[in-house]
Parts: sequence; structure tokens; C-alpha cells
Amino acid sequence: MRKQTRGLDGRDGQDGQDTNRIVPAVLVMLACALSWTLASAQQPALRKVEGPTASVTSQDLREGLKNPTRWLTYGGDYGNLRHSPLTQITPANVNRLVPQWQFQTDTLGKFEAAPLVFDGVVYVTGPLDTGWALDARTGRQIWRYRRELPSGLIACCGLVNRGFGVLGDLLFKTTLDAHIVAISRKTGAIEWDTAMEDFRRGYSGTTAPLVVKDKVIVGIAGAEYGIRGFIDAYDAQTGKQVWRFYTTAGPQDPGHGTWRGTDAKAWEHGGGSIWVPGAYDPELNLTYWGTGNAGPDYNGLEREGDNLYTASVVALDADTGKLRWHYQFTPHDIWDYDSTQMPVLADVTLGGELRKVVLFANRNGFFYVLDRATGKLIRGKPFIQTTWAKEIRADGRPMLLPNSVPSEQGTRVCPDQSGGTNWMPPSFDPSLGLFFVTARESCGIFFTWKDDYTPGEAFRGGAVQRLGDTQSSMLRAIDVTTGERRWEFPYTTQSWAGVLSTASGLVFAGGSGNVMAFDAKSGKNLWHFQTGSSLYAGAMTYMVDGRQYVLMPAGTTLTAFALAEF
Amino acid sequence: MSRTAQRLAVFLAFALGCVCAHAAAAQDRSAPRPELRAATNPLEGNALAISNGAAMFRNRCAGCHGPDAHGYLGPDLTSYWSAGGTDARMFDIVRRGVPGTEMPPADPQRVLDKDIWQTLAYIRTLSAIPAGAPTGDAVSGERVFRANCASCHRVNGRGGQLGPDLSRIGSARPRAGLAGKIRGSSDVIRPGYEPVTLVTRDGERIRGVRKNEDEFSIQIMDARERLQGYVKANLTAITFDKQSLMPVYGPDRLNDRDFDDLLRYLTSLRGATETAR
Repeated sequence: MRKQTRGLDGRDGQDGQDTNRIVPAVLVMLACALSWTLASAQQPALRKVEGPTASVTSQDLREGLKNPTRWLTYGGDYGNLRHSPLTQITPANVNRLVPQWQFQTDTLGKFEAAPLVFDGVVYVTGPLDTGWALDARTGRQIWRYRRELPSGLIACCGLVNRGFGVLGDLLFKTTLDAHIVAISRKTGAIEWDTAMEDFRRGYSGTTAPLVVKDKVIVGIAGAEYGIRGFIDAYDAQTGKQVWRFYTTAGPQDPGHGTWRGTDAKAWEHGGGSIWVPGAYDPELNLTYWGTGNAGPDYNGLEREGDNLYTASVVALDADTGKLRWHYQFTPHDIWDYDSTQMPVLADVTLGGELRKVVLFANRNGFFYVLDRATGKLIRGKPFIQTTWAKEIRADGRPMLLPNSVPSEQGTRVCPDQSGGTNWMPPSFDPSLGLFFVTARESCGIFFTWKDDYTPGEAFRGGAVQRLGDTQSSMLRAIDVTTGERRWEFPYTTQSWAGVLSTASGLVFAGGSGNVMAFDAKSGKNLWHFQTGSSLYAGAMTYMVDGRQYVLMPAGTTLTAFALAEF
Repeated sequence: MSRTAQRLAVFLAFALGCVCAHAAAAQDRSAPRPELRAATNPLEGNALAISNGAAMFRNRCAGCHGPDAHGYLGPDLTSYWSAGGTDARMFDIVRRGVPGTEMPPADPQRVLDKDIWQTLAYIRTLSAIPAGAPTGDAVSGERVFRANCASCHRVNGRGGQLGPDLSRIGSARPRAGLAGKIRGSSDVIRPGYEPVTLVTRDGERIRGVRKNEDEFSIQIMDARERLQGYVKANLTAITFDKQSLMPVYGPDRLNDRDFDDLLRYLTSLRGATETAR
């Protein structure tokens, strides 16, 4: 049986560390008891016991899911595979998966976060700048964090947040009023609070942070309001900014010549939001981030040119923020094709050669394989029907199709502005070489109008009419060695659910409020549970007391599943 | 003033200040006050506004009001002005929404006053020419309705519920739209009323309208108005019919005079509250 002690400060002790702590603990207790007995004959006082307790190190983050009982970053590990080595739940027994507990936020809004789990505790952020520490065994709240938000928040697409980052005893999160805060993992109290930008000018924070070494890397949202996007690194201990990379190239930056057109200052309000976290390769010391749409979204006249570095993936030196390479998925984006999908880093055999690659299922409808060291395109292939571009040429640029430019009269383009996929994270099973992504088939009529930039006001330059009869969504498995579809499972309604896979050969995803398990090889649906709300996040999995849990955010509820114990 | 009184005065001043600041902040958060908007559309007839408004209408309104504003889930908008509606009232409806209906308020952070006026300028261009003097007899039309329609459609609490409630249909649909629906030239089916046939494992066929559906189950109202859910694994077939459950009332089933009376009755239906006013 597992040995467990509870420290005097209320923390759980773990095997191995306990003996070191018990002896001094007992001594202190005795001393306290003695002095109190002598002084007042009362109960012994509760005192903090000195000694090591479990804390998250940068090495832990680097090792990711090597310890599969935890989940320490948005994507599970620095490569964002969202593929857990846990195997207790299998295709053979998954039909015995039953809810163990539920947690409800008691707020409006919805979860879009990836919960983190460390040392038996779930740390999760919710809508309206909230966050919780929960007992991973029971779902009971340990503490709650809630930010007093100012009035006049400007956020285009929901008052959401995509999760905590963690290091040591600190949790980090971005806020809707464009700050980054550090919160005590033990109490939920604010440890530091740094303004990234002025929220009144349309800046907001929703991405989960990526913690690398001693830095917290984040980005800013707001490209629907004419912001200038950036990726920032902050000192984890002090909250001081260490570096900033702007996602629109300024006059001093290479690539500035890609901002031409009628507005000489277009780059200053050119968009390039960051609202989904990036990845990190410790060997190359590069951090990879997908960047958002150019602004205004649909009217490109005042910003002729490629508009670097919007709708791209950028590889930055993690220490300095210097650009090492970039690859632009959608040059001169005029369809709101944010590239803020989660980059997935994998080592895959292509043409008999082991390649270090970035896998990227993009909102523009193409699935890309890029060389991770150089950013060179290895393959780009549509995973849905696309009418803005036919294919990706060998030089890495899309081959545009005629009649795909948004116009005053309206232009029909597929996919619509919500894209072939969106923020919902995919997963990658390296043993099968399969990439699982929630895909959308759709078309829309893209209209343009003239929008003048006013700080803090909507800056879209057009709008899109979705065509209802073109819309469908499904889970697709893509073979990364060929880019071909291996299987798919159609959903009845539009799905915004992320994906999780496990080494036992399972894929967890869902739609229409159903969290579902699939056989990773065949796509056969093996299990489902109706949560009662649409899914806007992905499941994650962890282990505590020898039991594997699958945790699914749905609406404002978290549900933890485990195998029924008879 | 005694020291205590001084302290009390300072405290009261501070407390009052807090209350005022709070009230100001609360006001800050509310939608722009109605008197700030113009009484008539300042962008009426402006070509650029109409063009921008057209795009906004298609983006934000057409989903419910139909691409031509003739109504779909939401009311027909083309006869709003000819029926005596004002710019100011329409602006306020768009800004505040209609509580208790699907019509949402427009968040001032996302939708500027200008955006609303532009959209209204466009909708105005779609306005129907005021119809000629109405024909038909509403009293007779109600009898036609009771005899032919009421088994499936409800008006002001009376009638069946297999089809949509028609208590407000007069303000939601123009006469021409209703005529097309009755005579069978329109194949638009409201969500929630899509006809479906389920076949169970013992071969039973159940006809009804779909209320909801996911990957594993379907919820319907059957022809006897029974609400029921079915697990798809227990069904051998689920067929969606193109044709609405509503029969086509051609001239053979409904002569021109009865048809005219029925239309007069239906276009007079403006909802129980409005009728009572």
C-alpha cells in the first residue's frame, strides 16, 4: 500500500521524501507540544515544517510526459504531442469508463483551457479570468482565484483563457486586460502582475503561457482591433520583461517591405495575434509560435504584400527572442486564417530518413510538415476542401486559385473564416505516425468594406456570411508520412473539441457534447458520454493513487472519468 | 465641530464618493443611453453606408432574417417601415435585443452605432412597397384555419403543436411568403420541424419532426405529438424527407376565396399581447 503522510502545513508527503521529513516534524511537534503544555496546557500549535516538498523544475517541464502521471504544459510536453504514455485505459476496457467527479465553475462562459496536474492537484483556468486548484482525486476545490476585471474589456471571441503555465511554486496566466500574472500554486494569491499592453487599445491575453528555463513566454491577442501582435518573455521570478518579438515587421526589421499599399502605417495595426501557446525544442533552443491573421481581416488593399510575420510560424531563440526562421502559411492573409494552431514537434521517418519536423494543421485547410531546424517546407497538403489555394508549391508558397479575393459584392471561399480547424489542439501518435485533428468542411461569402483604424475599435474591413449547407465537422486521422487521410469519424454538429491520444491506442475527442473514445488505428468509436454542453477544449489524462483519469472540460464543467471499480 | 463629528463627516463624504464612483462605473458599463442616438437614420440613402450595411446584414442578421430579409427564423423586415415602424425603434431593438426571443442585444464594444445605422440603411432599401388594400375576410379566414391548419398549428394557445406556433406570424412573414408556403411553392423547413422517419428493429416506422440529434441519439415529436428520444443503435434506418410534413394546399383543396380569407387572417396575427393592446 502507498505510504502517505500529511505535513503540518497540510501538504501531502510522498514516498521516499517522507522519512526525511517525519523525524524533524515529530521533533518540532514535540517541542511545540511541550512548550504549549508548559505555558497554557492547550493543543499543540500548527507550525510550518522545513524540508523539501514537491515543486516543478525546468527539468520536469523538459521531461514532459516521461512522468505520465502529470500534465505540466498545455500540450502535455514541449512538443505538444498531447499523446500520453498511460495505458491503464485501453481499447478493450474503455467501455467501463465512468464519471468519478465533476467540477462546475459557477460562472458564465466556457472552458477553453488545458488543465495541468501536478502532485495530485489539478490547476485549471476558467472564463472571466478565474482559476482553481482542485483535488485530482475528488474534484474538491482547494483554492479559487478570480481577477477583478476593469470595465470596457475588448475581446472579440469570448472571455476565455487557455490555461496556466507552471514553474516552482508559481502558476502563470495571461489576463483579459492584457496583463501576465504569477499566482502562488499553494494559495492562489497574486505574486506578481505585469501589464503587457493597454487593454483599452484592443489588446487582450488568452493564451496559456509556455515556460522555458527561467522564462515565461506568452503572446497577445486582439487582431480584430488593429493591434500589433507580439511574443514576450518574462522573468519567472520577477515578472520583468526579458524580450519581445513583434509579429508585424517594423521599419528596422527584415520583412518590413512586405507591408505596402495605401497605409504606410499598416504594420502598426497589422494584427498577428498570439492566442494559443507555442512549442519548444530544447536541443535547438528554439520556441515555435503560430501567429494570427493580418488586420484588417478581409480588406487587404491598405496592406499590400505578404504582411510578415502574420499567419506564419516563427522559430525564436528562447533566450533572446531573435527570429531564427519563419514560414508563412498564408501570405497576405485576407480570409482571417489565423495560424494560431498548436505547433506539434515530432521526429518522423520520411523517405527513409529520420526528420525533426513541425506538424501543423492550419486554419487555412492545409496540413504542413516543416523542417524544425530550418523552416523549409517538406510537404503541404489540404486536409479539407480549399478554394483559396489549390496546393503548396515546392518553394513553399500557396498556389492561389482565381476568384478567391473577398470583395464588396461577396466572394465564395472555402473554408470559411473559422477555417479547416481552429484553436482546438490536435494530437500525434508517433508509434502509428497518425495526426488526429478536429476538421471542419465549410464555405462562406467573404465581403469587404473600408475600415479606418481607430484604437480599441473593431478593425475587420469586412465580414463573412457562413453557408450553412456547406458546414460539417469530423475527427480526421492523417498519416504524416504521406499526408493522406487514414480514417475519419463524422460529427452530427460542429465540433470545437481538442484531441488527446494515449499509448494504449486510444483517441479521445468529441462533438455535440459527447466526449468519445476511438480506436486509434481504425477510428472505430468505442465509448461516449454526453456531458450536456458543447466542447471547446481537449481532454487530458493523469494518474493518481494508481488510477488513470481522463479529464474533459465541457462548457463550464470538468468531468473526470476512470475505469469503474467493482 | 467636535473631533467625532469631523470624522463622521469625512467618513460620510468618503462613503458618498464611493457610491457616486460606483454609480458612474455602473453607468459606464451599460449600453449607450437611448437619447444619444439620433431619432432618424443619419445614413439613410448613403451609398457607402448601404454597401457596408449589406455586408453586415449578411454577416449578422441574414442567418435568422433570411438573405433577402423576408424572414426565416426571425421576422420579415421588409414590411417594417411600411407598417409604421420608425428608425429609432428599430435601432433600439438591434441595440437591446428582444428579451424572451432569439434576438440578441448588440454589444456596444463590438457593434458601433454607425454599424447599426449602416445596416438599417441597407434594410430600408429592401423595404416592400406598401401593399394595396388588403383583401379577404379575416373572420372567415379563421374558420378556414380551424378546419385545415389548427390540428398542427397553434394560435394564441389553441391548436396543435406539431408545426410552428403562428400567433405572431403576421408580423413575421409577408403575405407572399405565407401564400408560397400554403400553396407548396416554398420548401423552407424551420429547424426543429424537419420531417424524419425512424425504423425500429421490429420494423415499426415512426414519423415525426426532429427536435435534436447527436452522434448516438435523436429526439423527435412524432405525428401524435409524443416527444421521445431514440438511441440510434436501436434503429435500422433514419430518413430525412425533403418534403415538409405540412400538406400542400393547392386550389383543389383550398379555393381562391378561402385562400384569400386565410391569408387575411394569418397576416392579422400579431401575437396575443399586441392584439390585446
